[in-house]
Parts: sequence; C-alpha cells; structure tokens
Amino acid sequence: MPVDDSVTLRNTVAYVVDEAKTAVTDGPVELHFVDIASTRSVDPDAPEELAEASELLERVELWVEEDLGEDPPAGISVETAVLGADRYLFSPGDYADAILEYAADVGVDRIVLDPEYSPGGATPMLRPLQLELTRGDVDVAEAPVERRTETTVLTRAASLPKYVTVFGASYLFYMLLSAWKPLDFLTGFLTATLAAVLLAPVAFSQQPSVVRVGKQLARMLLFVPYLLKEIAVANLQIAYVVLHPSLPIDPEIVELRAAVWGDAPVTTLANSITLTPGTLTVSVSDRAFDIHSLTAGSREDLFGGSLERAVRFVFYGREAAAIASPRERGDGGEGQDG
Amino acid sequence: MTPVEWGIVALALLGAFFGGVAAMGIFRLPDVYTRAHAASKSDTLGAVLTVGAAALALQSGISTAKAVFLLVFMFLTNPTAAHAIARAAQDQGIEPWTLDDEEGET
Amino acid sequence: MVELSTALLAIAAAFVVFALVALYRVFVGPTIHDRVIAVNVMGTNTVIAIALVAAAFDQSVFLDVALVYALLNFLLSIAFSKFNVEHGGVL
Repeated sequence: MPVDDSVTLRNTVAYVVDEAKTAVTDGPVELHFVDIASTRSVDPDAPEELAEASELLERVELWVEEDLGEDPPAGISVETAVLGADRYLFSPGDYADAILEYAADVGVDRIVLDPEYSPGGATPMLRPLQLELTRGDVDVAEAPVERRTETTVLTRAASLPKYVTVFGASYLFYMLLSAWKPLDFLTGFLTATLAAVLLAPVAFSQQPSVVRVGKQLARMLLFVPYLLKEIAVANLQIAYVVLHPSLPIDPEIVELRAAVWGDAPVTTLANSITLTPGTLTVSVSDRAFDIHSLTAGSREDLFGGSLERAVRFVFYGREAAAIASPRERGDGGEGQDG
Repeated sequence: MTPVEWGIVALALLGAFFGGVAAMGIFRLPDVYTRAHAASKSDTLGAVLTVGAAALALQSGISTAKAVFLLVFMFLTNPTAAHAIARAAQDQGIEPWTLDDEEGET
Repeated sequence: MVELSTALLAIAAAFVVFALVALYRVFVGPTIHDRVIAVNVMGTNTVIAIALVAAAFDQSVFLDVALVYALLNFLLSIAFSKFNVEHGGVL
C-alpha cells in the first residue's frame, strides 16, 4: 500500500490490517507500506522530505500494531520502504513504475490504494495512477473507506424514551420563551414534535433512564458546592494574577490520563478542569487530556486528582471514587520541568 | 433602596469586578492560552453573578426563569467555547508562552 | 439615594467599557485565536449588559434578545474553531 498523509490514511491502514487478519488464515501475510519521494535524494530539500517520510511510515507501523490488538495473529509481518528517491517522478506513470517495480521485487500480489492518496501535492492522481498500475500483473483495489468525519456513529436506533425526553425538553424550552397564549401551546407542540423526530436518534449515547439520571442528579447536587468553592478560588487566583503588577505566571501544558470513561463524564471533567484554579483543558482524545496550567501550584492540585474523583463519584457512585489519583497511578505529569 | 436591592447591587458589582478582571486578563496576559483562562473563568463567574443579580431584580416569575436559564446556559457554554478556541489554537501549532519566552525578550 | 434601575444601568455601562477593552485585543491580535477569544468575551459582556438593561427597565422581552445573543455567541466560537481546523473535529 502506498502511503501519503491524507484524511483517510488511518482508515485505509485499518482496512488493510483487517484484510490481512482474514487472509492470514490461508498462510502468512506480508504488509508493505511504501512512501514515494517526489524529489531525488541529492536535491537540497530531500533530507527534510525523507525525514517526513520515515516519520509517517513509523506512524503507520504504530497504527498497524494498534489494529492488530493485544495478541497479534502469527504470520503477519510489516515492511516499510521509501521509493523513488533515486529519480525524478513526474507523471502518474512514473509513480506506477516505481510501485510496480517494488511490488515485483518483493512479490506483492495486491496493491491497496488510499482513496485520498495524492502524493503529487494538490493534483489529483488517484484515477490515472490506478489505471497505470493495472499494467502490472497485480491486483489493484481502492480501500472502501469513507472520510473519518462521516464514519463516526452519529445516529443510533431511536426508542420511545428518547423521543419522549427530547419532546419534553423542547416543549419546556419553547414554553419558557413563549407568552403562554393558547396558540403558543399549539406551535410549541408542533416545534417540539419536529425536534423530537429529527433529533431523538442523535441526541443520546445510551437509553435515558429515570433512575440512573436521578441518581446522577442527586450526586451532582453534592458535586455543585464543591465545584462552586473551586470556582471561587479559581477566580480569586485569576484576579490576583491579572491585577498583580508583575503578572506572576508560569504557564505550561501538561498531559493527564484521566480515569473517566464516556462522553458525559469526560465533558464534565473537562469543563470542571477549565473552571477550577489555574487549569484549562486544551484538547481531549479518549482519555488523554492536554491541560494548560497557569501556575506551578495548579499543576500540583491537578495531579492530586480530587476533581477527577468527584466527577467519578457523580457518574458512577461511591466505589469508583476510590480509584487511585493520577499521581498514584504513576502519571506525575510529563512535561513538568523539575 | 431596600436591603434586597442593596444586595442585588452588591452582587452585580461583584460580577462587574470579575468582568473587569476578565477584560484586564484579555488585555494583559501574554498568549492565547492564558487569555482563554481569563475568558473562561473570570468572565463566566462575572456573567453568573451579574445575570443572577438581574434575575433577582426582575419581578415576574417567567422573566426570572428566563434569566436563570440564561445563567445556566452561559455557565455551560463559556468554558466550552474557550476550550474549543484553545484546541483550535493547539491544532494549528501555536506554542504556549512560557517563562523562558519572557527571559528571552529581556 | 440612587434608584435600583440607575445602579443596574451604571453597571451595564461598566460592562460595555470592559467590552471595549476586549475590542483592543480584537484589533491587536496577534493570532486569529486571540481575536476570537476577545470577540467571545465581548459577546458575553454584551449579553450581561442586555440582561442588566432588561432588569433595569423590567422588560422581559430583552431577555429573549440576550438568550439568542448568547446562543449566537457560543455558535460563533464553536463554528470558528471548527472550520479553522482542517477537516473539523473540534467537538
């Protein structure tokens, strides 16, 4: 598979690994990932490009490992290579030549193309390349992957509780803003019905349950005073820092692997971190939080984990609150200088 | 003015103080991340206190309900917006300001 | 003695001044994100000012304006961040 940085590269790799997993039952499989250099290695900007290429290939190897999972099936091996550094490549034909040559060398019998593959920069070259590649006697296929932004599971099966919840919330909101005339009840009903029909399939990640939400709300009530206290401290600290003549700050971005799971808890924790003293959530991917901290003291508090524990308590109950703090888990905060 | 009204004014003044802190923070702090701190925390508390005061000052029940809803809405969205902007900045590779930068300048 | 409505209007004026301070950051930048944060703060201050004016004149209609303004203000920040990042994925 020829690789180049693209939005669908990750999914194409996943597809290739998937195919390899099914094919490995018939015998050992070798996966080759090649990056094609458009400049010759003697050109002035070649070292930079080659470094980028090997970095990309390393990334691909990591993805493959990730997709193979905890115990990879025996018989799958991964090779990477940079091609075409010995000559100039102009047309899709040149690229195809380089790929086919390599394929013949190592005995590849199937080439998978990333649907967004465009090594030549802005010019689209997938179709001509595909055409040129069929000159060789190998099987050429475009990976059946969609752009990542379109493949995320957005709609889930709707159910009656979901419709009722969305309808109720919309109707309440509408009536809150209305003037309580008879006509408003009718228009509100129509609007809420429309909202429920359109949004109920996308609004929830799990079935709404009165009992669970009720329990979470009750624990949330305990959480709120704690959060308010933290917010008050945070604001006094910001006020002190901002109004102090010499601006005593020592900002730094640290990474935290939080022990919370699921959309709502992660969102709550991220927003709570943002509202509490000296910390601001910059980005979240799964459970890894990138957190910008304003002062050294705020970093200490963060890895003490009291906020994280409180969020766990709200969403999962008392037992989960006992999970060790980030520092005890050995996550003392990379990126912290001394 | 009645004691309740004095309380409302005091609450609004406290909110104005934090609104001022947010504005000063936006003005003085050195980079986008630190400014996001000021925007998310101080401005949110300033908004909550002041809109809370407005909710108390409004007499009719439905207006107070609206003001409270506005308050809750801002409480939820302000940190989220700051987070989104900070994340966009990080995605574009904007480096956070550190103490070293200042030492480098002087 | 001052009236409650006068005091609330004065505080609303203070928030307008704070919004003008934030406007300085919109002009100076330096990055586009600084400007968006500053615009966000200006929007928040505007919402607060509208809410205070609503309280001062006891006009609940102004609160609807404030609500819609708050919604738009949030939408602006999110939409901007989203489209400023390649291929989306901010939220």
